[in-house]
Amino acid sequence: MIDPAWVSVLSAILFIIGVWGAFTRKNAIIVLMCLELILNAANLQFVAAAIQHGDATGWVYAIFAIAIAASEVAIGLAIFLAMYGQHETISLDDVNLLKH
Amino acid sequence: MGGTSETISSTFIEYAIFIVLLPMLAFPIILFLGHIFNGNQTWVKSAKEGGLIALPIMVATFVLSMLLISEFIGKGTGAHHIGDWLSFGWMSADGMTINEKVFGVGIYIDHVTVMLLFIASFLCMLINIFSIGYMNTDPVNDNRNHRFYAEFVLFCSGMLGMVLADSFLWLFIFWELMGLCSYLLIGFYYEKPSAAYAAKKAFLTTRVGDVFLVIGLVMLWNLFDSLDYAVVFNEDLIAQVDPEQLQLALGMMFIGAVGKSAQFPLHVWLPDAMEGPTPVSALIHAATMVNAGLYLVARMFPFFGAPSMQGDLVDLAFIIAAIGGITAVMAAAIAFVQDDLKKVLAYSTMSQLAYIFTGLGAALWLANTPGMEKYAIVAFGAALFHLFNHAMAKGMLFMASGSVIHEMHHAHHDVHHHDDHGDDHGDEHHDNHHDDFDAQSMENMGGLASKMPITATAMLVGSASIMGLPLIGGFWSKEGIIANAWRVALEDPRFFLPASCVLIGAAMTGFYMSRMWFKTFAGEPKTEVAANVHEHTPWIPIPLVTLTFVSLSSVILAGMMFTHWSSDSSYAFFSEKGLIDGLIYEFEHIFLNSDAFFFVLTYFVIFIGAIVGPGLAMALYGGSLKDGEKSKPWMQPIINLSSRVNAKRGFDNSAWANSGLSNALKERLYFDKWYDAAMLKLVAGFANISAAFDKNVVDGTIKTIESTSQKLSTQVRRLTTGSARDYIMMAALGVLVIYLMLEVMI
Repeated sequence: MIDPAWVSVLSAILFIIGVWGAFTRKNAIIVLMCLELILNAANLQFVAAAIQHGDATGWVYAIFAIAIAASEVAIGLAIFLAMYGQHETISLDDVNLLKH
Repeated sequence: MGGTSETISSTFIEYAIFIVLLPMLAFPIILFLGHIFNGNQTWVKSAKEGGLIALPIMVATFVLSMLLISEFIGKGTGAHHIGDWLSFGWMSADGMTINEKVFGVGIYIDHVTVMLLFIASFLCMLINIFSIGYMNTDPVNDNRNHRFYAEFVLFCSGMLGMVLADSFLWLFIFWELMGLCSYLLIGFYYEKPSAAYAAKKAFLTTRVGDVFLVIGLVMLWNLFDSLDYAVVFNEDLIAQVDPEQLQLALGMMFIGAVGKSAQFPLHVWLPDAMEGPTPVSALIHAATMVNAGLYLVARMFPFFGAPSMQGDLVDLAFIIAAIGGITAVMAAAIAFVQDDLKKVLAYSTMSQLAYIFTGLGAALWLANTPGMEKYAIVAFGAALFHLFNHAMAKGMLFMASGSVIHEMHHAHHDVHHHDDHGDDHGDEHHDNHHDDFDAQSMENMGGLASKMPITATAMLVGSASIMGLPLIGGFWSKEGIIANAWRVALEDPRFFLPASCVLIGAAMTGFYMSRMWFKTFAGEPKTEVAANVHEHTPWIPIPLVTLTFVSLSSVILAGMMFTHWSSDSSYAFFSEKGLIDGLIYEFEHIFLNSDAFFFVLTYFVIFIGAIVGPGLAMALYGGSLKDGEKSKPWMQPIINLSSRVNAKRGFDNSAWANSGLSNALKERLYFDKWYDAAMLKLVAGFANISAAFDKNVVDGTIKTIESTSQKLSTQVRRLTTGSARDYIMMAALGVLVIYLMLEVMI
């Protein structure tokens, strides 16, 4: 049995990679992937906690989060497609019309 | 009233509410039918645009009123409580008892009510008949007469309601209803700027008085916890009230009466109110609404008569009489120089109402002075009788003046056509020649006695009644008012002012009423229009003839001891002492008074009022009719006399006519100018202050808020970079902050 602490460390590393990617990358698809990383980091933490406490609630949350992440990806990709149709780019630096 | 308030049980009093409700229900009916059938020939010709709907209503009202009056005349008081429309209560301080206040609806009838109920219902009916003749034959009014009749019946409802109300609260409600109708009817020709201005002026001027009336009513409420007559006239309750506060409350209410009855200094609206149609002038501004103020003062009689108030309210009685005296002389003086027929009558109305105020003031003084109660009742009766005589005579005079003006209009129309247009004939041109010809100016009349016999007779009898020529109408009551004012003056020297004023006023009345009659009806026609006048409008003669006989038969009413109605009913028509006894008593009392002072006073009044005033008017304005013209036999001697006096004693009065005083009178003693200037100063000053307040405080606050938030928002805007990454960063920072806060707090 792996010590749940190691799982938490892995989850934290995944989270940091995700946040770093979301903050620094210009490509919208990569940002989306990073967001997925953050979500999965949270899932991992849920699962680790569920195993440690022997409680199924954590599993349920993880399954919900996966379902939500799936739909989020679908919507996100649809937005990027529309964005590309309008601006012919998916670079986040070029999409700042909400500024004023 | 007084001590003999025996309560009468009556069957008709239960139906008395319909006297008010019938006209009130007719108001929406006439208005809406008028809108539906506007221009429809059946509506215009057969229903007279609502006039024939209003007439049966007014007749029914009159019949109901007469049934009611027949039960109460000269007998006592009656009250009928219909119900409560508002009641509320609260716990008193100790939490044990509940203070409950109830506002009721009901009918209250006593001698004053009987008098005014008869005047109001009778004149409303007659003036309705007159209106059908006057309004419906003038093309200017086509397709809007329904508005006139609707407002007319609403007014009647207001007047009758005010008279029958059983509390000061309902009196005030109907009082305001009348004010509204007065405003609407003065402004009937709202397309004329002068009419719109006059309507506003009348409404606002009476509003000044009404504010004081409300204050007075609130003070009265504070003293009695009620405004019902049944409560406030209770002598036991009056005994618990502080006389000074009561005097102040009644004084405030009197200011309301001053505004409504057009007395100095709130009199400026009445002459301008003549902009309304003549039936309106006759009904509202001569016969009924302006009496509301007198009615209010007459209603105060029980306060003055209460034993606990003896001697405490004489100052207010003096003020009432003094306002009356001043107005009587001032209005009569202004009437000297008016050329507009209706304006002369308007000032005459003011002057005669002032007489009644003086009479009431004297009666209240007598009631408030120990040992004088028996005179108080006579004085009170005389004042009310003058109210009756004046309402009848002035209503008739206004209708007669309306008849003259109406026929002058028609004659002008005919003359105009024959001169300029020849064959072109049609009423649609009626409007087109509102040129500089003034159909109301007496300068354009003259010699109408032979052409308008009914109108001239009515005018003659009405003028005689107002002047107080012996045995006709107002003579009986005016003599009583003057005698009682002097009776008080002998006791209280302050009353020499009003008493002298009404005495001088008697001569002045004789002059201006005669002047009006001779300028209009005697002499030769001054214009071609006046030479072509004919009296041929239907409906108009009916009320004129009726009221002529009422004014002439005033001697019978005097024999019925009208003056004693207020309390002593032993001489009343229906008592065992008959009419003849009453007549003999009255004649003895007036012409053979055992008191030398009053004996001389009576003949002096007759001398100045019936000989000096009319004599001067004859000398200045008398003249015989055109050759070949003959008036009715009862008028011809007067015209002949006037022409003889004019020929022998005529004098040149141009010095007077061009004097400063005459000009001042023509300018109505500058009251309007002063009021306008004062108002302008007041309004402009107030406007400047409000403008400064608005600019600095109101706008300043808003502008500070606005500029501050603008500055703030330019700072905050910098955060909105538009870059998704920054937003994510902010979201993450936000989460961090929340986390830290939770960490610190928990």
